Amino acid sequence: MSSIHPDQATAERLAGLGQVRPHPIPAGSGDGTLIDDPAVRPPLVLNNRSFRDVTDIVCGYVENKPGKWWMPTFMMTATIAGIGGLFILYLVITGIGTWGLNNQVGWAWDITNFVFWIGIGHAGTLISAILCLFKQKWRTAVNRSAEAMTIFAVICAATFPGIHIGRQWMAWFLLPLPNSNWIWPNFQSPLLWDVFAISTYGTVSAMFWYMGMIPDLATLRDRADRRLRAGGEGPVLLPFLPIRIDRIRGYVYGFLAMGWRFSNRHWHRYEAAYLLLAGMSTPLVLSVHSIVSTDFATSILPGWHTTIFPPYFVAGAIFGGFAMVLLLLIPARELYPNMKDLVTKRHIENMAKILLVTGSMVGFAYAMEFFIAWYGANAYEQFAFINRATGPYWWAYWTMISCNVLSPQLFWMKRMRTSAGVVFFVSVLITIGMWFERFVIITTSLNRSFLPGEWHMFFATPVDVMIFVGSFGIFVTLFLLFLRFLPAFPIAEIKAILPQASPHHGHAKGGH
Amino acid sequence: MPHDQCPSTVKGEKKKPGAGERAARVCGAGSGAPPWRSPAELADSAGLREFVEREFPAGASELLESDRRGFMKVMGASLALAGMATVPGCRRPEHKIMPYAREAPEEVVPGKPLFYGAAMPLPGGGAEGLLVETHEGRPTKVEGNPLHPLNRGRSSVWAQASVLSLYDPDRLKTPVYLNPSRGPLEATWDDFKKWAFEDGNLRKFDATGGAGLAIVIDKATSPSRDAAKAALMRKWPRARWVPFDGAESAGRLEAGRAIFGGPVRELYSFDRAKVVVSIDRDFLNSSSADEPNGLRHAREFAAGRDVRAATDSMNRLYVVEPSYSITGGQADHHLRLAPSRCIAFAALLARRVLAGSPAPAGIAEALNALDLKEGAVDSRWLDAVAEDLLDPGHRGRSVVCVGPHMAAAAQALVWAINSALGNVGQTVRYVPMGEDEGADSIAGLTALIKAMNDGLVDTLVCVNTNPLYAAPAALGLGEAMKKVAASVTLSVESTETAAASTWSLPGAHVLESWGDAEACDGTVSIVQPMIAPLYGAPGELGPLSPGEFLAFLGGDAAPSGYELVRASWQPRFGADFEKRWKRSLHDGVVAGVEAPAAPTPNAERAASLVRALDLSALSGGLEVVVRGGFMHDGRFANVSWLQELPQHGTRVVWDNPALVSPATAKALGLTQESETAKFPEARVARLSVGGRAIEIPVWATPGVADDTVVLQRGYGRRHAGVVGDGVGVDVGPILDGTGAALLGGGQLASTGRSYPISSTQHHWTMESRTSIVREVDLAAWKKHGGFEKDHFDPIYGRKGGTLNLAERLGELAHTPPNVSSYVNPLNQSRDDASAGSAFSKGPQWGMSIDLARCTGCGACTIACQAENNIPAVGKRETQKGREMAWIRVDRYFTGDDINEPAQMLHQPVACLHCENAPCEVVCPVNATVHGPEGLNYMTYNRCIGTRYCANNCPYKVRRFNFFDYGVTRFNGGYFGKGLVESIVPDRGGVTGSGRHNKLNPNLIPPRLRQKLEEISKLQKNPDVTVRSRGVMEKCTFCIQRINQARVETKLRTPGLTGVPDGFFESACQQACPSEAIAFGDILDGASRVHGARVNGRSYGLLAYLNTRPRTTYMLRVNNPNPRLRAPVEDPFHHSGEPHDDHKTGAGQGEKHGAAPDAAGGSLVGRRRLVRGITELSLKVLGA
Repeated sequence: MSSIHPDQATAERLAGLGQVRPHPIPAGSGDGTLIDDPAVRPPLVLNNRSFRDVTDIVCGYVENKPGKWWMPTFMMTATIAGIGGLFILYLVITGIGTWGLNNQVGWAWDITNFVFWIGIGHAGTLISAILCLFKQKWRTAVNRSAEAMTIFAVICAATFPGIHIGRQWMAWFLLPLPNSNWIWPNFQSPLLWDVFAISTYGTVSAMFWYMGMIPDLATLRDRADRRLRAGGEGPVLLPFLPIRIDRIRGYVYGFLAMGWRFSNRHWHRYEAAYLLLAGMSTPLVLSVHSIVSTDFATSILPGWHTTIFPPYFVAGAIFGGFAMVLLLLIPARELYPNMKDLVTKRHIENMAKILLVTGSMVGFAYAMEFFIAWYGANAYEQFAFINRATGPYWWAYWTMISCNVLSPQLFWMKRMRTSAGVVFFVSVLITIGMWFERFVIITTSLNRSFLPGEWHMFFATPVDVMIFVGSFGIFVTLFLLFLRFLPAFPIAEIKAILPQASPHHGHAKGGH
Repeated sequence: MPHDQCPSTVKGEKKKPGAGERAARVCGAGSGAPPWRSPAELADSAGLREFVEREFPAGASELLESDRRGFMKVMGASLALAGMATVPGCRRPEHKIMPYAREAPEEVVPGKPLFYGAAMPLPGGGAEGLLVETHEGRPTKVEGNPLHPLNRGRSSVWAQASVLSLYDPDRLKTPVYLNPSRGPLEATWDDFKKWAFEDGNLRKFDATGGAGLAIVIDKATSPSRDAAKAALMRKWPRARWVPFDGAESAGRLEAGRAIFGGPVRELYSFDRAKVVVSIDRDFLNSSSADEPNGLRHAREFAAGRDVRAATDSMNRLYVVEPSYSITGGQADHHLRLAPSRCIAFAALLARRVLAGSPAPAGIAEALNALDLKEGAVDSRWLDAVAEDLLDPGHRGRSVVCVGPHMAAAAQALVWAINSALGNVGQTVRYVPMGEDEGADSIAGLTALIKAMNDGLVDTLVCVNTNPLYAAPAALGLGEAMKKVAASVTLSVESTETAAASTWSLPGAHVLESWGDAEACDGTVSIVQPMIAPLYGAPGELGPLSPGEFLAFLGGDAAPSGYELVRASWQPRFGADFEKRWKRSLHDGVVAGVEAPAAPTPNAERAASLVRALDLSALSGGLEVVVRGGFMHDGRFANVSWLQELPQHGTRVVWDNPALVSPATAKALGLTQESETAKFPEARVARLSVGGRAIEIPVWATPGVADDTVVLQRGYGRRHAGVVGDGVGVDVGPILDGTGAALLGGGQLASTGRSYPISSTQHHWTMESRTSIVREVDLAAWKKHGGFEKDHFDPIYGRKGGTLNLAERLGELAHTPPNVSSYVNPLNQSRDDASAGSAFSKGPQWGMSIDLARCTGCGACTIACQAENNIPAVGKRETQKGREMAWIRVDRYFTGDDINEPAQMLHQPVACLHCENAPCEVVCPVNATVHGPEGLNYMTYNRCIGTRYCANNCPYKVRRFNFFDYGVTRFNGGYFGKGLVESIVPDRGGVTGSGRHNKLNPNLIPPRLRQKLEEISKLQKNPDVTVRSRGVMEKCTFCIQRINQARVETKLRTPGLTGVPDGFFESACQQACPSEAIAFGDILDGASRVHGARVNGRSYGLLAYLNTRPRTTYMLRVNNPNPRLRAPVEDPFHHSGEPHDDHKTGAGQGEKHGAAPDAAGGSLVGRRRLVRGITELSLKVLGA
């Protein structure tokens, strides 16, 4: 029996196919991907990477030791997550009153954080599903990490409705469980729709993410297996526990790979299932945040009671989600070797364009809210919006406007949207702005509603702040673990978009 | 080895005290005596503690395996325990008392409350008749006695709160002896007896005839106490008797002595008055010692404003005062004047009135001799008021009244005005005060202190009074007390005087003692105990009532209040004694007591008072007014309900900031921070008057006269208990030796510090949303008020409907008809209570609140709190906007000038029980649902606390339990408190409520906190759940009362479907002194609430939202004097431009519906809206 795995042999054979001519980098095209000529298809992967290179790069993130930055960063974010967890514990044993809420402002940072995180979760599924259906090849560079980000954002998001209720230990009342009293949840309530929408979204996103990873997990498994077969010294788990890490990798990735054997039949079913899941996820992208927006839109509160909310929220979610993808990938691109080959400037530029589009949609929605308040001639609603811009929370409103509407306008300039630093900075602003958007919608509508006799301000407490900061800790910790232990790029899909994979590759124009 | 099959027992045997228990012990959870079940429990043996905690007694399962001896032992023990168990926890009095016969069965039926008549003496004299609800022997709720002519079933906030003070865990429980070297020592009544009689410390006065003994006692009007006093004074004729009330109003007493030869009270008949002028008199305020007749005033004044038909007329009220009182809120014309100008107003008004009518001899001349500046008061105002009073149609039909704290000359002037107008004997009657009631406290106390300093007093006895706190500090009682050999204090509450006395003795609360009380109109009630003294042991001398204590001082070793009261009534009832006694106990009032005769006035002495008037006394610097509030002279300071009841005008709770006008505050740089800054902080200023000074936070309040400071007594207590200690500032040090409530020459200077103030309402105005509290002038009502409401609103697009006047003033007049493609199949509320709909079968409950009657006194809030087990949450929590009151009273000022608002409006808001309730659809767990009788149910067990319902409630009436408010001890301790408080920085000791908590104790996890005291649990209404943390709650329309009434009527009258109107009342309705609240079946055409709902004044708050509220409001009607303000006949002017279509009576709703108003189409014109926004920062103080 050959010591080389047949799949490995196949891969090597494929990698040797054809000799790749280096791409000339035209002037003014950044790293070579920013070609303006519509006739020229810029490369999606730089430096003429072979199939093997792609495998090595992606698997290397998992198999090699991470850079020196990884452990300190991880320790820091894990500590923040832990502190956040302790504050959640304190909240649960002491009461929601440790937040700054009151009888007038029943929701503030809790639901703000919830909507913020669930919005962030939108980019992943959009990239994976909608761009997949539209056959946007550039998605392959970012879809895996965006999907991971979605899962982690949904985890953070789901925390908040869970802990924001007064009796957290009774949260299971939200589930339609049969019971002797025949009490069912209230199917009229948007909060219940939320439960279903988010659990569906979380489940489908996780399935999509996981299924896409299976071939790559199998690759990791096979590489570990090959090294084990090749013998030699490998890193051990612990000095006193001389189990080779590759053996553990073999077991764990083998278990996770669910018996994937790269067979044609596997690939065939994989492709079909992937397409099906993409089709299923696409409406979810639109529905989840629409349903989250109905938490507000179905109420009668001026500032919430707005039919524009569903599309407005979806646009905002994509906006915020893409900003978060960029926030994660731009530093990762700097920190990981060779990642710039996979995530090129053109990727960043594409996403910056999406930011510009969705940011303008959000800005349009802000304007429409004011227009409708004026046109609708309801004094309470007019007041609600004037109060937003000029009332006690004016600073939150204008933070939102400048971050969400003004800052993406920079991207009209190509120089701005192709500069990773500028894009990163604007993404930070957008993330702040999108948090404030939710805060403005929730708090400024509640704190001054119909009867001035009951107006009351909201002030955040340290518990509010720490739980929000803790949720960032959880999110980044999970993402760091993802980068360290799971394939951060879809190896097979990237290979499929390499020039080598094209039937025309290596042939003169006009093909065979 | 016996097998114990009960797991809980097995666990119990090894049980160590849990963390909570340990914590409770560490911080001394001994919250007074819990209601013990057996003597052994009283002794608190460890064995018994275990026995109580176990599910089954130890050895319960050993029985089968034990031998004969063991069996006999167990049986013997069981029998003994059974015997002990018959000693009830709540002992009922040993004497026969008569249940009020609203409930036919005389014996206690578990689960059914019994009602007993009683009475409560009011501070400063007078009394209120009570009807006390008791559950299995424990009083839980106090109502007004319907048979009492003062109450007529209504009650003041003090009466409502009295039940909480009964169960106050900080009450004095045992006699305490203040050992000179060892400090306070717990003692027994036997020790006191020994000290007093065997050691001769009191017996020695038998030899001196009482010389050297002084008794300071509260002002109560009680025949039996008077008898005890008489007996004591016969024995010790040389003893000093000093009736004392810390907040008495001297002006009226002085004037009464001068004019009538003795102090008098005025009895007004406001129902017969057409014109009422109040010169700084808060006659509608029933929680004021100056107004023991306030309940009647509120009821009768409201009756004079009850316009139902377009032809009805109403009275007119002018109020002149330094700051808004609740009477001021009812005024048709309100003038803010500094106190000195109020007196000038009285004089100038008297000039005008006396010139035009037959004046009492000498007064007019005395007036003319006065040097009065005409310009002191707006003469247009004076002329208009005088003309109104002198209108021949108003002769004998007006009332002019003046605050009892005002100078005697002002009292004389007002008496002269009333005499000249023919009011005396018609709308004003004068009745003499009792001897103690009319005594001059300050003069008496001053003389006593002089005697004490001169060494003439050997022993000082204080009964139910707290002069050490309540007397002006300038008198120097504290130093004088050190010169007496011994002092004895009998007090129900913990007081400063008790803490400083040689002996502090626990007194019996009015609900646990026999007595009697005379209301100011002469009605007498016999007070029967509802429960045996909570802290007394049977068979021993227990807590004593004042009468008992006086008898005890006189040598009766075991005084019986029962015998004393009976003995004092024996001669008055005569031969028919037993029958009349029982009748009086049952009714709560003694029948056939004659009102005292009116005394004869002496005009000449009145004139000499007027001649002595000196207006310059108050001039120079700021004028300072000292008022009594909910705390009176501080005696209610430990009642958390009263501390948390928003104060009139300011809505401030848990504090008594000095009130100044916004202009004065601005000029002095003392404007408080805006509520949009983090938790509003008041500036602390140093207020000095004549060399005396206090530091007090300043709160700028609209409607306060410029250059005037309004202070409130009763705060800053030092020995009140965990609730009242350190709350607010003691204003005693600012008072001079005369105790006058009006001081001149004050100065206010910032200290540069600030202090957090908690107010339940920061916004002063309606922000131009005039459809919230709707009001019209009488002229508009007469012109447009004839239309009864045909259809509730045009939301359903029905043709032919007519909006009534009140609805035409609101949003519905501009709301296009709703074309609904969806009929809600769940509540079918498309057709409100029409045939075939879900709400067409009675009873359908609804409420109507009459804004013309509501004075904003707060009785409803307290009544609801008592009925529904609503916890007080403390200053820090109210500051965060987490007050729990189910019915709140919103207060709005109107007008353009924040310094001089045109009006102060009130609007009580509780759950409106919307038929289309916005809260119901959004609850994800079905915890709030609609009932078939139109109630919006709240299911606490199902609620998980998403708070979505509260967010979606446009009225914001839902209350969330952010913490374990209901089951943890208010302001209590917690495990590790010492450590925590040593770390937490001291922010002036105000983070909790009072000085006891540097940290808001709610932030401590509940398991580490002290639980509610056993004794406080007794107050809870057993028919209402005590809510846990994390659930939402709100007004239930007193569903427990509804259900009780339904059961009752069903049992009594089988086949009757509804409940007859008036068969029961909701708690707020029952308390409301001005009868502003109607509650009942809206389908019952004869019900009061039905009548209100179809009236032209009825409107739904925010009804354009299609919430279809079951609580509706009746708009307020003002009756302006055309000489002062032109009445508005057509109040439909939005956007500053009249709409012609409004002027046509019927059908305008549809016109608007068809073509939404082109000029704005909104409830407020756009121009006004924009102005409202730009003025927002002005209207929100400090922003």
